[in-house]
Amino acid sequence: MSGRTRVIGLGQAAAGDDQVGLAVIEHLRERGAPDGVELLTAAEPSALLPLLETPAPVVLVDAVLAAPPGEVLVLEPEELEQRGLSTMSTHGLGVAQAVALARVLSPAAVSPSIRIIGVSISPPGRFQQGLSPDVAAAVPRAAEHILRTLTHWSQEPRHA
Amino acid sequence: MTNRTRTLQVDYLTRVEGETSLTLRLEGDKATDVRLSIFEPPRFFEALLRGRSYLEAPDITSRICGICPAAYLMSACLAVEDALGVQVDGPLRVLRRILYCGEWIESHALHVFLLHAPDFLGYPDALSMAKRHGEWVQRGLRIKKAGNTLMSILGGRSIHPINVRVGGFYRAPSRAELEAHLPELRWGRAATAEALEWMAGFPFPAFERAYEFVSLRHPSEYPLLGGRIVSSEGLDIPVHGWDAHFEETQVPYSNALHARRVGRGAYLCGPLARFNLNFDRLAPEVQEAARRAGLSVPCRNPFRALLVRLVEVLHAFTEAIQLIERYEEPAAPYVDTPARAGMGSGATEAPRGLLYHRYTLDPDGAIREARIVPPTSQNQLSIEDDLRTLAPELASRSHAEATRLAEQAIRNHDPCISCATHFLTLKVERA
Repeated sequence: MSGRTRVIGLGQAAAGDDQVGLAVIEHLRERGAPDGVELLTAAEPSALLPLLETPAPVVLVDAVLAAPPGEVLVLEPEELEQRGLSTMSTHGLGVAQAVALARVLSPAAVSPSIRIIGVSISPPGRFQQGLSPDVAAAVPRAAEHILRTLTHWSQEPRHA
Repeated sequence: MTNRTRTLQVDYLTRVEGETSLTLRLEGDKATDVRLSIFEPPRFFEALLRGRSYLEAPDITSRICGICPAAYLMSACLAVEDALGVQVDGPLRVLRRILYCGEWIESHALHVFLLHAPDFLGYPDALSMAKRHGEWVQRGLRIKKAGNTLMSILGGRSIHPINVRVGGFYRAPSRAELEAHLPELRWGRAATAEALEWMAGFPFPAFERAYEFVSLRHPSEYPLLGGRIVSSEGLDIPVHGWDAHFEETQVPYSNALHARRVGRGAYLCGPLARFNLNFDRLAPEVQEAARRAGLSVPCRNPFRALLVRLVEVLHAFTEAIQLIERYEEPAAPYVDTPARAGMGSGATEAPRGLLYHRYTLDPDGAIREARIVPPTSQNQLSIEDDLRTLAPELASRSHAEATRLAEQAIRNHDPCISCATHFLTLKVERA
């Protein structure tokens, strides 16, 4: 394997719980990312496409509309649509679609291992500057899941 | 033709930015009810600004949109500078125009290649389109990225730039930094010209409307930053005249306000309006490319806005290249902007159309009142009128086909729902 594992947070700052993906990246940054891990953010899924082009594994962190809020879900990209979950994209292209599009456009260049860590949020109903308490509480748990996923990957021979 | 009633209902409109739904009731071939309901939650930016420093206005309002933050930065800067009596000219204004070109490129490319082109080719989404036209989608993404890179060089990062301030920039880029991007901009210009030629062959529905077009007009430039507000019906006013000539009203079914020309009604801003009112300000080679693509002035077919966006991308590449070739680094990255009391207005051309800001400042520079009028709420009435006019065509199609055409007609205007959400305090009048 070459290249560093990418952990990419999605979301828009100033959009309430939608920014949870960014908050998880910030949390990981503060506690120090493990060696060989790159922390990145993207505000909309089309900006994600070039970031998926890496031979290394990729973990995406995003808000997922699901009840109850504050749950951490570990998903394969395909599961988003299969399970009827919707990531909070306001830009006409969802995360699952962005991954699928990247795989169609450059199958050889896209990371062979893409996993999504979703944090469930309620549909936004009013202006909110930061995260709601339930979603804020999920941030360290989501970060734990990511670190565990990274450890798991580093122990798998195909990613060694 | 039967006179039966049917309703086209699209609960979540896809491939537009933000959350909106459409209800269209047809009786025979007449539309009896058209509602574009923007239910994206209101975000109260105007209330959020009250009491904040005038220096914060650009940074706060740029968070309204991840696709066109430069428009918010620039309209806020112009309005605050107007209140302070400050003029930003020379190389600093050139840098602002380059930043804005980057935004037009990335926003239009995203819309044209990923959100709107699938409609014309008969695909449900960009993914299905990519299986057959992968090379064009790739090129579209690279064009978009060239715009984003321009924004990063000027703004510090491509989304929600942080290097812009009232009076100019925190740091001005060096000539070398900008020049390094020239090869990619030249590639983008050539790729866009080819895309325009390809898309000129798309099937465009024969549909025209007698819009009143509204845009900025500058003495010598294709409109980006400031100028006068003009319309195809003879309006010609300074930017601060917006409040006297336009009004916003609230409707019960939408979180976006509906804007009207006082005493006239609906109007249209955005690429078609700019193109029709400023064709003579496009670079000569861009005018020529537009003619070759079958476009002429006035263009009243909103479906052809797809081509007009590509014309504007071509112009933005051309202008950015010229500005960078002639760029001279400024002596200082910004001009001083000491606080004072005042009221100021600013307008720029966001990719989707005129973006108007107005601020009232206290003597210490605290914002007392803010007003932000985004293009989507200005176009909302016209979008509904398009659907009303399309009714006979919609009535003649199957439910699925009619729904698809109605969605395409909305996407013609690339509405940015998240920008448009607004909330007014309900006035209770007692007798």
